[in-house]
Amino acid sequence: MSVLDVFKRATAPVSRRMGFVRPERAELFDDEFQKKLETLAIVSRRVFAGRLRADRRTKKKGSGVEFADHRDYVPGDDFRYVDWNIYQRFGRLLVRLYEEEEDLSIYFIVDCSTSMGFGDGRKFDQARRLAAALAYVGLANLDRVTIVGVSDEVVARMPTTRGKGRIFKIFQFLRGLSPDGTTNLEDSLKTFVAQHKRRGLAVLISDLYDPAGFEAGINVLRYNKFEPYVLHIIDPKEAHPKLKGDVRIYDCETGEEREITVTQKMLEKMERAWSEYQGEIERFCTTHQVPYFPADVEVSFDELVLRVFRRGGFLR
Amino acid sequence: MIFAGFPLSTLLTIGGIAGGLVVVFYILKLRRRPVAVPFSRIWQRILRDKEATTLFSQLKRLLSLLLQLLLLALLVLALGDPRLSRSITKGRNIVVLVDASASMKATDVKPSRIAVAKQKLAKMVRGLGGSDRMLIAQMDASLRPLSTMSGDVSNLQAAVEQIHASDTRADLARGLRFALDSLRDLWRPEIIVISDGEVGDPKEIARGLDLGNADLRYVPIGKSGKNVAITRFSVRRYPLDKSRYEVMLEVTNTNDKPVDVELTLLGDGQVVDVTRLHMGPNERLPRFYKDLAGASRTLEATIKLADGQHDDLPADDHAYALMPERRRARVLAVTHGNTYLDAALLLDEYLDVTEIAPSKYPPKENFDVTIFDGVAPPLSTNTGSALYLDPPDGASAPVKPGHSIDMFGFDVWDKKSPVLRWIDMGDIQVAEGHKLEPAREDHVIGASVKGPVLVAGRRNGRRFVELGFDPRQSDFVLRVGWPLFVLNTINSFVEEDTGYLSSYRTGEVWRIPAPSTAEVATLVDPAGHKHRVPVKEGRAVYLGDQAGFYKLIVPGEPPVTSMFAANLSDVSESRIKPVDKLELGGQKATAALGFHAGVRRELWLYLLFGAILLSLVEWVTYHRRVTV
Repeated sequence: MSVLDVFKRATAPVSRRMGFVRPERAELFDDEFQKKLETLAIVSRRVFAGRLRADRRTKKKGSGVEFADHRDYVPGDDFRYVDWNIYQRFGRLLVRLYEEEEDLSIYFIVDCSTSMGFGDGRKFDQARRLAAALAYVGLANLDRVTIVGVSDEVVARMPTTRGKGRIFKIFQFLRGLSPDGTTNLEDSLKTFVAQHKRRGLAVLISDLYDPAGFEAGINVLRYNKFEPYVLHIIDPKEAHPKLKGDVRIYDCETGEEREITVTQKMLEKMERAWSEYQGEIERFCTTHQVPYFPADVEVSFDELVLRVFRRGGFLR
Repeated sequence: MIFAGFPLSTLLTIGGIAGGLVVVFYILKLRRRPVAVPFSRIWQRILRDKEATTLFSQLKRLLSLLLQLLLLALLVLALGDPRLSRSITKGRNIVVLVDASASMKATDVKPSRIAVAKQKLAKMVRGLGGSDRMLIAQMDASLRPLSTMSGDVSNLQAAVEQIHASDTRADLARGLRFALDSLRDLWRPEIIVISDGEVGDPKEIARGLDLGNADLRYVPIGKSGKNVAITRFSVRRYPLDKSRYEVMLEVTNTNDKPVDVELTLLGDGQVVDVTRLHMGPNERLPRFYKDLAGASRTLEATIKLADGQHDDLPADDHAYALMPERRRARVLAVTHGNTYLDAALLLDEYLDVTEIAPSKYPPKENFDVTIFDGVAPPLSTNTGSALYLDPPDGASAPVKPGHSIDMFGFDVWDKKSPVLRWIDMGDIQVAEGHKLEPAREDHVIGASVKGPVLVAGRRNGRRFVELGFDPRQSDFVLRVGWPLFVLNTINSFVEEDTGYLSSYRTGEVWRIPAPSTAEVATLVDPAGHKHRVPVKEGRAVYLGDQAGFYKLIVPGEPPVTSMFAANLSDVSESRIKPVDKLELGGQKATAALGFHAGVRRELWLYLLFGAILLSLVEWVTYHRRVTV
């Protein structure tokens, strides 16, 4: 190691000095993973049989085949939609309204902040696997799938795509993501909604370690007519840090430092505080009718995907 | 306050450097190990409650630093060995003379007198005042200081452990002179004698001794004196029959009551004789065993009380002796025939005699000794040392025969010469012979007024004895001295000393015969310990203090090994009745006082104890998170 290297290392940010840039894993989406995706796609059809089709209903009323409602006839309406049975029975001219059918837009928002790569990077791997799996299910159902990576801004954006054949493009995109940067969901999701006018499902895959508060980010999606889904990536090890004695802790994203003396009592408090934080997230989502799915890194991604399916609501 | 250890300036330097290091290390300790966390806000929730205690936390850290500095200060002060100046000037200087003579092995007090003496001395050491200093010396045949004049208890205790009793008598006079020399110009000098009182004649000891201002203290050891001892033990072979020997021993009853004793004599470990003796009070009973056989090397005498009990001093219940080793000497007689010579050689069965005519000389075999009777051919290398009887003029005798002399006798002779041991040469009358003309290095051991007639010496490394007349031309062959002369000469050649000492006496400087070629020999004592001893003029010199069998190994090719025995043989040491009082030159020794175990005035001990206590407090508070 040259003197210059030493100087660079000494002057590098704390997180980089301490080696929190997670090494990339080439095997993230291997053959085994792809086989599981195929299985998931088949299972998803069986679970949602009859309801899930290649097309998706929207709240727009239009020229579909599914009856939606009646309204009074106004001049200029197409006579073909007048409900003559109603007219015969009640003497009122009502027009039948049908739900308009269109393909659904699904946005996978992957948190690419440093905290996602903390430790051995399991959270970031799990987030990418889940994004890939759900995206594949979406593609298999002919939905429009878009993936973006965010930290304190939109760090990467994959153009909207559809069709199963594009899954490899998604793999390639996800492989290119790396956990680096601070978390600011509010700012980054404001950018996201500005870039994506077409509303749809917004699946936020994150550990929600946002110093500014996770609520603001989710609210941005809500307020901009997206249907937010929260896939909360959880690493239980973070509730039990292996610390003891006098240490100086610093935030892996912000570098904020604090000197503490870790005792057993403090570790117990830490566990409680961590659980409370997870509970706050869940309560917020439940209160605001935002579907919430905790995604434990200890649980395999296919099991998690099935759990998401079974909880329902992800795909209508 | 006075610093007996490091001076104040040194202490300040050490304290400054060490204090600086402590502070530096403390500051370094404050730089904590950085650890990354994924989300510090969660930690902030926990630590929110701790904000209020920051000031207290800083105070605790300061307390921790203060504790460490205090600890350092205590240790630095301890290094200085601070003492009250008052106590420094009033400390005693004590020399303890511990009697380690044979009588201290007595077991009338359990486990033994020497062990009790050590216990008492150890107690004194523990009770030594903070400013007192002590020197411990073991007193037996020699005087051995076992420590320096020191107040260090651990050093003194180590010295106490080294004390052991020997098989010698104590030399109190020498001990006192040493003590006075050691205490010269020191304040409050004190001499403590720990002894059973058997240290010799007090008047003799006090002669020329001036104790000055030194206080003499006495610690008596022992309570009774029941003892029977072997006080003399000696053995010798008969000169003319070396397979047999006689033993002289003396048994002494040191009690005031009669006693029955069983005396056992062992030869080479086997019982030779057992005798039961009745001895009166303080009786010394000599015993002679004549014409004994059955032992070739070692003899040991042991006594025990006839009633099966043991006396109080086992050390003098044994005595040891070693007889000179016998080996068969090969003797060549070169003669035309000499009845008197043949008769003399027949007396010793350990001689392997070969007789040849002068024309057959030299023989092919090797011999230790060659006797040339009336001839003196050139000496062959394989025929050893030579005895010449009346060598002819002009032959190859080492000493040239001079002119003829007649009607003479021995007017002077060397009585210490081994050749003439036990022989009175004054009565011998010689009809005719030759005056000898010895070289300067030769030793004339017999001469008449007419000149030397008996000469000993060495030529080319080989010894010779030359007689200037034919013994048949004198009345020498008719006397008992003739065979003694022949055998003495042969023995001196083969170095078989009939005057061999069967045992040495402990407590004396021994001069053990050894090959003069060596300068250093190895002595193995009865306990098996090896000692390097110097060899001077053919004698190994050693001050022996243990009874028993010794082995002397002289290096060489091959190494020469010899054995000898040593005995206590000291009646005064066998009288073990303790003496309660000691009085020298009119000064009566008083009891040893002023030793109070547990009272130490050495502040450094307390400082060290304080430092340890503080360390303990720091350790406990650290682990209970009080000081961090």
